[in-house]
Parts: sequence; structure tokens; C-alpha cells
Amino acid sequence: MTSQRSDNADPAQAFSAAQRARLDLVLDLIVPPSADGRMPGAAEVGVPAYLLAEAADALPELLQELEQLERRALERFARGFAQLGRGERQTLIAELRAQAPSFMSRLAMETLACYYQHERVLAGLGREARPPYPKGYQVAQGDLSLLDPVRARGRIYRDAP
Amino acid sequence: MTTDVDVLIIGAGASGAAFAWSMADTRMRILCLEQGDWMNPADYPSTRRDWEVRMEREYSPNPNARRRPEDYPINDADSPISIVNFNGVGGSTILYAAHFPRPHPSDFRVRTLDGVADDWPIDYATLEPYYALNDRMMGVAGLAGDPAYPAHEPPLPPIPLGRGAETIARGFNALGWHWWPSDTAIATRDYEGRAACVNLGPCKSGCAQGAKASTDITYWPLARRAGVQLRTRCRVREILVDDNDMATGVVYYDEQGVKRVQRAEVVVLACNGVGTPRLLLNSKSPRFPEGLANRSGLVGKNLMLHPWGVVRGTFDQPLDSQLGPMSCSILSQQFYETDRSRGFVRGYNMQVIRGFGPVATARMGVARGDIPWGEGHHEAFARRFGRSMTIGICCEDLPEESNAVTLDPKFADANGVPAPKISYRISENSERMLRHGLARGTEVMQAAGAWDIYSDGPVRQTGWHLLGTARMGEDPERSVVNAWGRSHDVKNLFIIDGSVFVTSAGVNPTPTIQAVALYVADQMKHRLANLFD
Repeated sequence: MTSQRSDNADPAQAFSAAQRARLDLVLDLIVPPSADGRMPGAAEVGVPAYLLAEAADALPELLQELEQLERRALERFARGFAQLGRGERQTLIAELRAQAPSFMSRLAMETLACYYQHERVLAGLGREARPPYPKGYQVAQGDLSLLDPVRARGRIYRDAP
Repeated sequence: MTTDVDVLIIGAGASGAAFAWSMADTRMRILCLEQGDWMNPADYPSTRRDWEVRMEREYSPNPNARRRPEDYPINDADSPISIVNFNGVGGSTILYAAHFPRPHPSDFRVRTLDGVADDWPIDYATLEPYYALNDRMMGVAGLAGDPAYPAHEPPLPPIPLGRGAETIARGFNALGWHWWPSDTAIATRDYEGRAACVNLGPCKSGCAQGAKASTDITYWPLARRAGVQLRTRCRVREILVDDNDMATGVVYYDEQGVKRVQRAEVVVLACNGVGTPRLLLNSKSPRFPEGLANRSGLVGKNLMLHPWGVVRGTFDQPLDSQLGPMSCSILSQQFYETDRSRGFVRGYNMQVIRGFGPVATARMGVARGDIPWGEGHHEAFARRFGRSMTIGICCEDLPEESNAVTLDPKFADANGVPAPKISYRISENSERMLRHGLARGTEVMQAAGAWDIYSDGPVRQTGWHLLGTARMGEDPERSVVNAWGRSHDVKNLFIIDGSVFVTSAGVNPTPTIQAVALYVADQMKHRLANLFD
């Protein structure tokens, strides 16, 4: 999978309100908010803008699949995707995952990338929302006395003529 | 036409930098042409919160995915292992993990000891002073006293084990198997103007701290101060040769894409085990219709890649395993030396590697089905993040002429220079070795208490170690360069990168690549009066 980056990232122009609502519901099925409220859902962390910036090449297929979801919802349940219950939406998404595994896998992978670098998510994980540099991290040096039995067993390399 | 130089080095990576520094004291006119550019550490992914995503895009180790202007495509469709590298000042040391193990003395005598492949024309004792010198120049961290090696003393204390490696070490101890803190080219204290490591983590996307020893910050500043010229964004197309079979210089494209000729008395190739044969094969002439320095027919042959497997274990207890230099934290040589009762010759090392950041943890977990979509996602993620460790199985690959770098008939780089094509199969011996390693790695994880273990191999995107494609030897029929790196066919052409390896050993090759480069430089300096005889 090769991603395309784009700086032209305005979700309001790329998605209609209905498409955006449908996408949010799909994202919520990938990563819902946690029951304790500590972790946000994927619909709350700016995934549409991320997709436009980092995976613009996937947009046409994404819009197509969102329309397909709407058609299927109407055919199967005589209601739009946004009007379905969570279980019904899950059924349709499971079908889509089976029929378009490559695309749905990519959507999930891009969503997870956006989600797990978002400051609210990092805060929920108990981590500082910052780049590694310049502060770095503390790592335990470890107990080097664990090497005593290795030393005691002695040399294990061969001589070479 | 540009001003003539005495020594022209092609490639500013691990070997080119070490060689340039060593040769600088001759006060000869030395020029290095590098197709990439200087790196700006402020741009490295670890300076951004989205470092995990940047690592796999602009800083991907795969040139076919990275597609920087200075990269050349590599057709590796006919190989189960894809080729990874980096083009720039520092070469692949920009993205390497800086794991810095030496080979064993036995690695240079595989024919004599094990009856396979060929012995090297040089040995461990010959290279030992150069390993030691290189350890000091690069700033290697480690712990003296490893019973898997002849005595040597890394100049800096080892990188931290962290709770993760300590947990795995207990597993090795329960089995009675060898392990030791790895030698790594990471400054664990302030060292020669470099700031100490602060455990940023993503060493394999460039070190913003400057603690990791990439040659743009180790050898190159010293070499340039001593008078070596380094010209970037200059891609060499071919090496020129006269009617006396002597190299006269190169044709290259400058940063504007203008074709130029650089004359030189001596040409030195330092382009790695894929780039070097590519350039030789692209340098055809009436006197060398099969490619320069290729009268043996061995240029590009005997490619060795170190087939690689992984065993991942997840533990109940939090290990903070996502923190710390991602380079190998501890190393086991338990199965390194040949024991034919295992069903294969030669051996492998087990490299204990830390866990992953949150994005990679989630993506790998979802891809494998360990972390679900929807309900249960957060709980499954929490059971894995910071609690997983990896044991890498790094197998010695033996040389086979059918594993080769050739020129691709279709692909070319941005200057139209034909790209390399890789044809490679994993041998039956390597397959058996890899299976053995995956099974032993699983035992270690079990002994260490992991509740979830899976293994995989060969892993595709692991072709870092590009070796053997212009091997050294005494016999011009069976080798491309002699015991000190000089082409048998072209007496002012030298090769100093991993191409010259006769066998691959079972360890990361950068210390040996650099030791060989320093050794060749010393040989040249000692033989200046009759260098071309």
C-alpha cells in the first residue's frame, strides 16, 4: 500500500454532510469510545482530515463505498445507514469487509494511525502527547547480575586455524 | 571536465566514510561522490508526534516505497526478501538500528571448519585492530567479557535492558542459554561531541539526538576537516576504463542532472552489495563486455541477505517495552556455531528487540485479529501495548551463484541508469536454520512467561545486509577483488563495501564492512609505492 500525501485537506469540501455522518458511524464501529469515557472513539479524532492529508488516493473508493453502504442499508432494512441500529450497521460492515477486504483493511489501518497518535488518545493511555525528541524517556538499566550464570558457563566460540 | 583527483570514492555510507577518514592522512586529493544529500536531524520523525507514520513513508527503509529523488528503484519481485537501504550522506547508517555485533573467528574459516563455501583470505585477527578502531570512531556501547567472543572492550557502557529485555534474559537463564547485552553504535554517554542517548526510540528513522552513530556525524566531519571533498546529489552512471585496463574516472550526473566526467587515479566503490554490482554491470566497454572487473563472471553473484524471522511474545505484566533504543537490547549466540546434529551447518543469532509504539501495536494486532474492531478493542489493545517483546532470528546465509544482482531490462532511476534486479531464493540450509531458530525463540518466550506467542519467517522487508556480490579471494577465477580489496582485473579499482564478503557470518555486518574498509585503506597506504603492480 503506497499512500499519497496532500496538503489540500478540507473535509468540509471533500465530504457531503451525509457522507461525513456515514463515515463517522463506520469509524465508530472500528474504534468506539471506551465505556469508561477515558478513550474517545475514532469518529472524534479528525480521521477525515487525516485521510485527506495522508491517503488522498483512497478518497474516490472511500466515497464509493460509503454510497454503497447507503444503498445496501436501503435495500436490506428500508432505512438509510444513519438510521440503522448498531447491530444492523455491524452486519453491513461485516459484509463489506468480506467483499472489499483490501479497501476496508486500508481504512482501518489509516484510522488506527490517526487515532493512536491523537493527543486525547495518548492522554487516555497515560502518555504525554509529544514527540520523542527532545525529552526522550527513562528506561530501566536492568539487572546485569543476571549474567552470572552465562559467565559461569564459560566460552562458547570456536578457535579458527 | 572537472579537476582530476587522486582518489575518487563512490558512496558516502558506512564504508566510504570510514575509508575517506583513514585515507585523509595521506594528503592526497580525495573526492567522494554521493547520490543523496546531507540529512537534517531536525526533520527526523522522532521530532514529530506522528513519528510512527513518518517512519513508514518518507523514512521507509524500502526505496521503492520511499521514492526520494536520490533513490533508485530495485526490482526485488523475484525474491522472498525485499531490499532495504538509504541513500544520503551516511548511507544506510541513517536508518540502521546500530546493532553492532562482531562476527566470530570461525566465520572467516567456514570451508576449513565446516566444509562449506570458502574461507576468507583474511581472518578475524587481521581485522581485530580495525574493529577496535572502528568501535572508538563510531562510539560503540557494550559490555566486556562476553564468553561468545574473543576479548574486546566497547568504549561505552551498554544501552539499558529495560524491563522487557530483563524478562527475556530470565527466559534464557531458565533454559541455560547464552545471552549478553548487545554491542550497539549508540553513545550511552556524551561522546566525541555527540550527546548521550535519551531513549527516543525510533533509531531506525534517523537519530535526532545524534546519539546513534551514523557516519554523517562520526567519520565525515573529521574526514572533511582533514581535506576530503564530499560532493552530494551526484549519481555515478559508469566507471571509465582505458586500453590498459585501468580506470580513468567516472561519468556522473550532478545535482542539476548535467552529465559530467570526473577523472581519478584510483576509483573506490562503496555503494553496498547491490549498488556496487549495479555500477560495475552498468560499466560495460569493449574490454569488459560483461561489466567492469567481471572477467570472473562473479560480479553480482553470490548475493547473501541474512534470512530473518521473528518470535513475538506478549506478557501479563507492563514492561514499558515500547521505550528505549529499538536496536537489539540483548543478543544470544547459543546457536551460532555449527552443530550438525541440528540439521544444518553454520548458525544464527537471536536478537531481542523492544516492543512497538501505539500505532504499530494497534495495526499489527488488528491485522492479526488479536485486537478486534468495535467492542473489546480497548481492552485487547491494553493487554498488548508496552507488554510485547520480539526475538529476531538472524540466519547466516551461504553464498550461491544463483542468488544474484543483475540489471533490470525495464526499470531505471531518474537519470535513466538501469536499475538492479534481484533474483534470490532461500536455501534449504537457511530454511532449516530459520525453522530451528523460530522454535528456539518460542521456547525462550515460553520460559520467560509470555501468554501469547507467535512466530513468522522469513520476513519480507528485511534485506538490510547486502553481501557477497564482488567477493574477495586470491584466485581471479573465483573472486572479484584480492585480499585487500583491489580488483583482479582493474588494478586501480577497489571495492570496500559488503560486496567483498566471502561468507556472511550470522550477524549484522556494519562493523565488519567498516573494519574491512579501514583495513583496505591501510593496505593501500602501505603499498602506495607499488599499488598497481
